[in-house]
Amino acid sequence: MKLTRRYNRATLIITVIVLLIAGTAYYTFINYIVNKQLDHDLMEELTEIRDFVKTNQRLPLPLDFEGDQTAFTLTNEPVAGINFYDTPYHKKRNNKTEPGRAVQTSITLRGKSYLAEVAISKEASENITQLVIGITILLTAFLLVILSLTNRYVFSGIWQPFYSILQQLKAFNVADTNNIKSYDTNIDEFKELNDAVSVMSTRVKTDYQNLKAFTENASHEMLTPIAVITSKLDTLIQDEQLKADQFAQINGIYTAANKLSRLNQSLLLLVKIDNDLIDDKSTFNIKEVILEKEHQLQELAQSKGIELIDLLEDKPITASRYLIEILVNNLFNNAIKHNLPQGKLYIRLTQRALTFQNSGAVKLNDQEIFERFKRGANSDGTGLGLTIAKNICTQYGYKLTYNFEDNMHLFSVMF
Amino acid sequence: MKLLIIEDEPGLREGIEKYFTEAGVLCESCGTLDSAISKISLYDYDCILLDIGLPDGEGFAVLEHLKANGKNEGVLIISARNSLDTKIKGLNLGADDYLIKPFHLAELKARIDAIYRRKAFNTNNLLVHDLINIDLAAREVKVNSIDLIFTRKEYDMLLYFIANKGKVISKNAIAEHLWGDEIDLADSFDFIYTHIKNIRKKLMEAAHKDYIKAIYGVGYKFI
Repeated sequence: MKLTRRYNRATLIITVIVLLIAGTAYYTFINYIVNKQLDHDLMEELTEIRDFVKTNQRLPLPLDFEGDQTAFTLTNEPVAGINFYDTPYHKKRNNKTEPGRAVQTSITLRGKSYLAEVAISKEASENITQLVIGITILLTAFLLVILSLTNRYVFSGIWQPFYSILQQLKAFNVADTNNIKSYDTNIDEFKELNDAVSVMSTRVKTDYQNLKAFTENASHEMLTPIAVITSKLDTLIQDEQLKADQFAQINGIYTAANKLSRLNQSLLLLVKIDNDLIDDKSTFNIKEVILEKEHQLQELAQSKGIELIDLLEDKPITASRYLIEILVNNLFNNAIKHNLPQGKLYIRLTQRALTFQNSGAVKLNDQEIFERFKRGANSDGTGLGLTIAKNICTQYGYKLTYNFEDNMHLFSVMF
Repeated sequence: MKLLIIEDEPGLREGIEKYFTEAGVLCESCGTLDSAISKISLYDYDCILLDIGLPDGEGFAVLEHLKANGKNEGVLIISARNSLDTKIKGLNLGADDYLIKPFHLAELKARIDAIYRRKAFNTNNLLVHDLINIDLAAREVKVNSIDLIFTRKEYDMLLYFIANKGKVISKNAIAEHLWGDEIDLADSFDFIYTHIKNIRKKLMEAAHKDYIKAIYGVGYKFI
């Protein structure tokens, strides 16, 4: 739920409740005052009647005077004191029943008890009450409209810095160079948020840059010692006095040094792709790159008895030829390396996609294959080949996917 | 051939110096930019092996110095930085070739030889080793006056061997020379064996002599 909606709902509920309580209180209070006033009037009327009876020793005529209805009834059971109560009031003039207020008391005249009743219409005061309720309801409605409008416009205006920061946080990418822009606001909380986010993003970026610089430097620094190892080995094998098993040991070191060097080159390449440092873009036909690779890798495919079938369309692309060569090389090599003896290898190039499809025994874990240092059990590669391929694709907005169908691995690059 | 090795890492410098001296190259070496500049100012060399990352500055200064003084030494840059910019900068400043660390000494020797050949024998494109005559311009090989047909890889390998004659060349070095990073080492070893078998057979038939000697499992030696 959106903050504004949530807030809106809370304020509206509270407003309605408060106004309901206020309305009830108003009504009760006004009613009380009105009754008090009417009771006062009735009391005066009653006093007049008593005075009249005392002076004239007779009952006044029961007449409808100024809306007051007076009635006297002979009774055997005199009521004690004076009772006020609400009663329906029959208006004789137009024969209508209205709410009314009445007073009742006993009057003694010549030893006889009479029940004196005086009733009065409450209509006028009832109208006031209705007016008050009406005004309250109108006020409530008005307040609700004003509140929701305020919430909608003022509120969203106030929260604008928050949404701006949120938007930028969502779009935040450590590899990006542009920083989070601060939103000019005079609200302290948002200022603080802004500052905190800026500081955090700057720190994250610095850390990331440092890490990348570290990776690059570490890789570079390692190359010279590897060069020393290689050159020492090259010198060492010149000594033909060495025994066969010593040569075997040297071979092991050679292989390890070679792998170390490849690993380093791959890591450096990844850093460069991530940093977008390879920007020698040109437009060329990717088919040429594939044919070139095919020529280079033919020998390898043949030695494994792999049947190579290609279906290539001309497809010009704009990218770094160097990177595309690496992409094709890595996918091509994998398709040969992870093929079955006497297997098949299909290379298809259309306007929409480049696919490498090769025979294979089991489906690879498609969640992991593009991750760094994930490699097959029988692979002696660096475990970075597919990661590099994936990153090159990401760089140019291509999509690299893996599928396994009919005992064939399928890697597709969607342009 | 007279070679100046400018490399600050002593382990590497000594290895290179030893390898080239044994191959009959006159070597001098230094580890700083200052000493390199003073050596170039004093003497003439055929080739210079230049490391870009030196303790007292970038090796590019050597190239600028050579250019400013109208010197014509062939320069091979060796660098740990595999960046296109560095490479282009080096080549623009007059370097002849660019080799990325780590490398095999055999590869270095082959590259230096190629530069030296281009510089010294501008008019003569003939490479002679024993009974083998190679016309580098036409890429033709004659052994005992018999024309031999070599595939591209075999021809490449033959030149590589001749540049490193008398030296044991590891299979790794050959594989990296022929295929670079394109294929896995283990795969390439089989191909090396096949290619060497072919080269050997062709040379045997023409020269009645076995030029290539296998050294245990580690590599080959061209005599």
